[in-house]
Amino acid sequence: MKMIYLDNAATSFPKPDVVYDFMHDFYRENGVSPGRSGFDASLKAEELVMETRKLLTELFHPGGNPNRLTFSYNASDSLNMIIQGLAEKGDHVVYTRLEHNSVLRPLHHLHADGVIEVTQVGFDARGYVSPAEIEGAIRANTKMVVVNHCSNVLGTIQPVEEIGRICKKAGVFFVVDTTQSAGVIPIDMSSMGVDVVVFTGHKCLLGPTGIGGSYVGEGVPVRPTRFGGTGVRSAQEAHIEEYPYRLECGTLNMVGVAGLNAGIKWLINEGIDVIHDREMRLWDRLRKGIQQFENVVTYCADGVEHHSPVLSFNIRNFEAADVGTLLDVDYNIACRTGLQCAPGVHALLGTDKVHGTVRLSIGPFNTDDHIEQAIRAVGEIAGMRK
Amino acid sequence: MEIDGRAFEVDDTGYLTDPSIWSDDVAGLIARHDGIPVLTEPHWAIVRCIRRHWEEKGTAPLVRSICQTTGIKLKELYELFPLGPSKGACRVAGLPKPDGCV
Repeated sequence: MKMIYLDNAATSFPKPDVVYDFMHDFYRENGVSPGRSGFDASLKAEELVMETRKLLTELFHPGGNPNRLTFSYNASDSLNMIIQGLAEKGDHVVYTRLEHNSVLRPLHHLHADGVIEVTQVGFDARGYVSPAEIEGAIRANTKMVVVNHCSNVLGTIQPVEEIGRICKKAGVFFVVDTTQSAGVIPIDMSSMGVDVVVFTGHKCLLGPTGIGGSYVGEGVPVRPTRFGGTGVRSAQEAHIEEYPYRLECGTLNMVGVAGLNAGIKWLINEGIDVIHDREMRLWDRLRKGIQQFENVVTYCADGVEHHSPVLSFNIRNFEAADVGTLLDVDYNIACRTGLQCAPGVHALLGTDKVHGTVRLSIGPFNTDDHIEQAIRAVGEIAGMRK
Repeated sequence: MEIDGRAFEVDDTGYLTDPSIWSDDVAGLIARHDGIPVLTEPHWAIVRCIRRHWEEKGTAPLVRSICQTTGIKLKELYELFPLGPSKGACRVAGLPKPDGCV
């Protein structure tokens, strides 16, 4: 029985063939240090890096400066750099209960060390943050507002445009974590009033693991918090201040950049809207299919609008992990169970008491048949303990 | 933990702290404590599979491997051991709390 992969919110899988092929071919032919030397392979590697910066810049900030698009290991890595590089002693930070530990933990440590004050904003019964509540949480010493564009537990897409307007009016920096949305939900930093976008490559952008990054807008004073080799001005003692070097040190993950490059091109070629619409059609079928079982409880899944193809649910009288194991072993369906690294969501939903939820998340290579099999499997498991 | 007048030292989650005291009788007692009145042949197939793996390798087997070895679907395992493979079957097999394989 072939695995049915419904854990795309963790890592999209499989990737388009062109991603595997390009990573392999490029790394075989030009897998060297980009821009550090003048030989052909190094120049080609640097060209690929710059082309990928441009592709991502067009995705987040059309017409922006591609040098402000910097690469890292993943979104957690960039969120650490952005949060620690922006926060200063005495600052206040507003964030939401929808945040992933990649935001919660950096904030926790800064708060625990007495560096910052924090205010957490909740979400409503449908899984959306209230812009008015965020506005109410902003104080005179608020430095930044951090919002998860799309919840990795609930799939709800937050009203970043409205929040961006509030942040601009209040003069605070607006950091958006697009880990679950980059590549499927349009993001425009200018029109949305976003100062910093953080992304990862291995989810909707269809690249491999180990590559992510951020775009930092003009006038956002992110201090570098790690220092090292940049390949330029090597005699200088201090780390280079200009972008992209400011937030990059050491040799880039070239195979990651190559895969990300091919993934983005594949997305653009297929059509981001086309892929999202198809995934949401499958999600809607899945949602309605499992909601028909009386002992299945879905969370914040009442329609496709402002939603991504992520579905969290539980079956009464089962722990989430048991459902996940049953789906895996008896039906060969891969999913994610537990708190999904977002404990604040579960604390508010009350699902922390049953050790989280079962999460099914759809990707570009899922089919109608996968969804029908998943519905049937959930129905059979639910039928075990009515 | 005391079952039918016999006392067992268990950890805070109910797993035996000393797996060497395990026997078929002990398995039956833990099962009764969990609401399984009699261990049937399919119960024993699962228990012996888990026990054998633990005695050979010192770890609990993967759930998939229990199902493959015994030919019992996981759904059926949950019917036999309502607490599931870890909290149910592994406890009855006298294993200490698994680290996460099961």
